[in-house]
Amino acid sequence: MKDNKNNNHTLTNNHIITLENITKKFGNNVVIDNVSIQIEKSKTTVIIGPSGCGKTVLLKHMNVLLRPSSGRVYLKNRRIDNLNESDLKQIRLHYGYLFQEGALFDSMSVAENIMFPLQQHGKIKISKTTEEIVKTKLAMVGLDGFQNFFPANLSGGQRKRVALARAIALNPEIILYDEPTTGLDPIRSDMINEIIIKFQKELNVTTIVVTHDMKSAYKIGDRIIMLHHGKIIADGNAEHIRNHPHPIVQQFIHGQVSEDDLAVLRATGSVIQTQFHPRDFEQN
Amino acid sequence: MPELGQSKTITTINDIGRFGRFAWKSFINSFGCCINRKALPLVWYQMNVIGVRSVPVIMITGAFVGMTLAVQAYDQLAGMGLEEHLGVLINISVVKELGPVLAAVMLAGRIGGALTAELGTMNVTEQIDAVRSMGTDPVGCLVAPRILACLLLTPSLIIYADFLGIVGGYFVSVIQLGINSSAYWEFSAYGVGLWDVSIGVIKGFFFGAAIAVISCYKGFTCKEGAQGVGQACTEAFVASFISILALDFILAVVSKAIYSTFWPIKSIV
Repeated sequence: MKDNKNNNHTLTNNHIITLENITKKFGNNVVIDNVSIQIEKSKTTVIIGPSGCGKTVLLKHMNVLLRPSSGRVYLKNRRIDNLNESDLKQIRLHYGYLFQEGALFDSMSVAENIMFPLQQHGKIKISKTTEEIVKTKLAMVGLDGFQNFFPANLSGGQRKRVALARAIALNPEIILYDEPTTGLDPIRSDMINEIIIKFQKELNVTTIVVTHDMKSAYKIGDRIIMLHHGKIIADGNAEHIRNHPHPIVQQFIHGQVSEDDLAVLRATGSVIQTQFHPRDFEQN
Repeated sequence: MPELGQSKTITTINDIGRFGRFAWKSFINSFGCCINRKALPLVWYQMNVIGVRSVPVIMITGAFVGMTLAVQAYDQLAGMGLEEHLGVLINISVVKELGPVLAAVMLAGRIGGALTAELGTMNVTEQIDAVRSMGTDPVGCLVAPRILACLLLTPSLIIYADFLGIVGGYFVSVIQLGINSSAYWEFSAYGVGLWDVSIGVIKGFFFGAAIAVISCYKGFTCKEGAQGVGQACTEAFVASFISILALDFILAVVSKAIYSTFWPIKSIV
């Protein structure tokens, strides 16, 4: 009974994932510091924050790709951070995960990449049915016809879209996006944003996006959470974040360098003093 | 300083434990691969990459081993008037020791390096995490087929190395050094038995398993960046090489003990 109490969690409202007092340390470095979040079902939650603040680490706790140093992770009332890798295999089928660089398998074609999860779990032989699923998934990201391409022959945006098609291959309930627009031009970024919105509406999935692209965050997010040094410093809708009184939130959303950072930059002295002229390298 | 030593000891014990768990999990999954029809295409693909493409380099290694042994041993035996016994010396050395060991070392360089580099790159580009995120065990999916392919094909490749070693030795001894062909084969047949050939081939299973497990482990645990992958490849080769030599010694002792138990008189002769 006690064990049952420990492993289950009573959810309020419509929460699908709960992170409870999560702390993550790598050695002595505390990356996530006692963070608690409840993720609402069928909504888009965006986690923002400067590079290195622990966004990706937090995202990887949602499907237990990383285990917390302390704290608990629940999926639909069930505690999952203490499960072994074998039990987690079934749990992870609830999730689709878009990695920052796509993480497509280099040695496989686009079609084989999307077939991979289907073959692993769907008990489908390479048949017309699988090909139809691949075609449908690729059409959803606007890349039908690219089945025989290899990842090396695709642009950054195309790779992310293929990775997205692979992430939704098993029709997950939750999709985790790690920096989906990073490294893309504004048009491609907007296309990815539109795909995220389309998936959320048409597939009714719960979406969690990690990004530092504020334009994207405002466009797709029902709720925006800001992390700073591993702690949550702001949590609310787009309007709430825009008007948040915290100076770090304001600096981040407006893309401004802090006075402290500027002072460090000024203290390093003039750049001209450290410049070289080509003649300085001439051989005598 | 004592604290530093203690922490190094703990790290080493941790590493050994981690490697042990990885090896155990890999072997369990490899046996699972044998009965899983879905995994067979993966095993088949790895057998082609690991085995078929290694045949030329293994044959060249074997041939040169046989030829070099003939050149080196001829003068010593000819000095005692025993040059017709050259076949025994070459063939027993090739099938029992040099063929298996040098073929395995060549495979550790060719296959071990490639396995570590491939899995290491997959690790640093989050492809292994991608496999996990799709509810699939990366050890079962990536490591087991490679181990199974190495385990099955290293003995076969050793047979190729042995064959070319014998041919190379014969070529130099009979055609170049002018030893009588029938005497060469007669003494060889007398001195080299099925047991000797079998021991060499059985060693292949152990060498293949060691190369595959060490290389895959190093790939899975490599540090980030190009330098991390490069370092993992070097470590994998060095560890595989030492394992091959250590296993060779252990298997030599064990096989000698078995032989002495079952054929006590023949072993003295």
